[in-house]
Amino acid sequence: MAEVSLSRITKNFGVVEILKGIDLTVADGEFCIFVGPSGCGKSTLLRVIAGLEESTSGALSIGGRDMTRTPPANRGVAMVFQSYALYPHMTVAENICFGMRMAKSPKAEISRRLARASAMLQLEPYLDRKPSQLSGGQRQRVAIGRAVVREPDVFLFDEPLSNLDAALRVQTRIEIGKLHQDLKSTMIYVTHDQVEAMTMADKIVVLNAGRIEQVGSPLDLYHRPRNMFVAGFIGSPKMNFLQVPGRVEGDRLEVHIDPAVAPLSFARPAGISGDGDFMLGIRPEHLVLGATGDSGLPVTLRLAERLGSETMLYGTLADGREINLRADGLSTARQGDLVKVQIPQAACHVFDKAGNTLVNGDLLRMEA
Amino acid sequence: MFPQPIQKSSPAAQALYRTSLPFALILWLLPLFAVAITSLRSINDLNAGNFWGWPTSIDLVKNYTEVFTRSPMGRYIINSLVITLPAVAGTLVLSSMAGFALAKYRFRGNLLLFSIFIAGNFVPFQILMIPVRSLMVNVFQVYDTYWALILFHMAFQTGFCTLFMRNFMKQLPDALIESARLEGVTEIGIFWHIVLPLIRPAIAALAVLEFTFIWNDYFWALILVQSDSVRPVTAGLEALKGMWLASWQLISAGSIIAAVPPVLMFFLMQRHFIAGLTLGATKE
Repeated sequence: MAEVSLSRITKNFGVVEILKGIDLTVADGEFCIFVGPSGCGKSTLLRVIAGLEESTSGALSIGGRDMTRTPPANRGVAMVFQSYALYPHMTVAENICFGMRMAKSPKAEISRRLARASAMLQLEPYLDRKPSQLSGGQRQRVAIGRAVVREPDVFLFDEPLSNLDAALRVQTRIEIGKLHQDLKSTMIYVTHDQVEAMTMADKIVVLNAGRIEQVGSPLDLYHRPRNMFVAGFIGSPKMNFLQVPGRVEGDRLEVHIDPAVAPLSFARPAGISGDGDFMLGIRPEHLVLGATGDSGLPVTLRLAERLGSETMLYGTLADGREINLRADGLSTARQGDLVKVQIPQAACHVFDKAGNTLVNGDLLRMEA
Repeated sequence: MFPQPIQKSSPAAQALYRTSLPFALILWLLPLFAVAITSLRSINDLNAGNFWGWPTSIDLVKNYTEVFTRSPMGRYIINSLVITLPAVAGTLVLSSMAGFALAKYRFRGNLLLFSIFIAGNFVPFQILMIPVRSLMVNVFQVYDTYWALILFHMAFQTGFCTLFMRNFMKQLPDALIESARLEGVTEIGIFWHIVLPLIRPAIAALAVLEFTFIWNDYFWALILVQSDSVRPVTAGLEALKGMWLASWQLISAGSIIAAVPPVLMFFLMQRHFIAGLTLGATKE
């Protein structure tokens, strides 16, 4: 049982507030991923959980026991660093066993754990090598091995894949996922790569400027972002945001995207009483490129990126607002074309001026 | 900004470089050469003013034996070793620990403390002559013992060495230390098993440098000790001066003997000067 629970955690470096009151519970065995832009505090939060930084205020418990001021070694956590942090003067085996050797664990126990970890991570052929003789992926596996032998309650990963090339990243991602299935430990993982977040996480925590913006499952965040920050952060390519005038008609809210298309009509969100400007959000993959002659939103294409499986089209509306869409890989649309784009209302999100969500798309409900 | 490789400069500059370099080299080595030659001469050559010409007789064995018979040279060398080795060891121990603390611990006044270590290096040691002597005579009561020189050198060299060590350790990735800390390794364990092996090149470089500094010290050898039984070789050379006539051939031979240990030390430690020992610790 190793539930990690944070309550009103803050962290200041001098006068700079890095974490501004974090409340979070990570359930036992859960794979939880912290995402957010650079400087949002996600790494600091991980280091607070590890005990490498002391929180300025707030409480932290792991497995039900208060660990706010416990030294890192006694928290039952193991951490994998972005830089691997392997001891360069030790062999792979020595690296993996160093902590146990220092703790004077029995020899038999050390070799049992070493054997188990090296088998799990396919490190057997490299046990006598020095880190400098290993590739990046192998080094990262050693770093993971060093965490595995500690048999921790909680694994902490600090951007473990960001130093690997694309192919290795995919492979190591799968390996970490498998590790989680095998060990069933609680894992907390920091990344700025949202593909990692979407593919691996049971639960994603989106951080921004020291605060939690939203916590939820990957698809939950994708389909039901609580605000514009989350909507823009989750999903790649990024969601389109169009500033649109809205008019309240009885219990409906009508937003006018462009004179060329009919306004979209939504059930009037609570608290909206008058006309005003709103932000309409729609993901590039939900826009539909119409056939020639169709009605739809006229978009002039500035750029077409052909990725084979898909075509990314970057365009502008007549009044200069930018809009991007993801089309079929075989699309013949070219730079300079004026195309018609259809906007499925079910995929649209509406945000108020402060960026809070008024209406979420209901794609999920339609499928259900 | 960076010095250009000489191969890339103009032919004229290259020609100038090629001719002036050997010239500068000879000029620089000339005194050493003179000392070496003088150490082979007879006293008659020197009295006749033959300083640079070919020696009339090669008195190698005679001069070098006389160094040991006319003065307690053997004793001086042993004294120098007894002073230098513990002083170097002590300096390295203190400065590596101080450097570790300054490089890797966040505490209030860290930078101030570090600045004091640096500032200490700028104090001209001559102005310390009288206070240090009184300190050794009155407070520690170690005047004219090995301890006077050992303690002084340790104290005075630790400043420079700490600066050096701290800057070297600053380059060790923090993650290495944090990782060990997470594994429950004690701070002493981290220092001993992780930091020390990784700063071996720095230790080797400092060991040679400090050995040379302390071995070659003349000033404090004059100030802090006076008996032959503790006097190191640099001050001991004085005994070879001769009563009425400067025996330059003996002083030269003595100087060469005195210079041997630092040179040996250099070659001994040379193989430890391996840069890039941290290669592979972290990605970049």
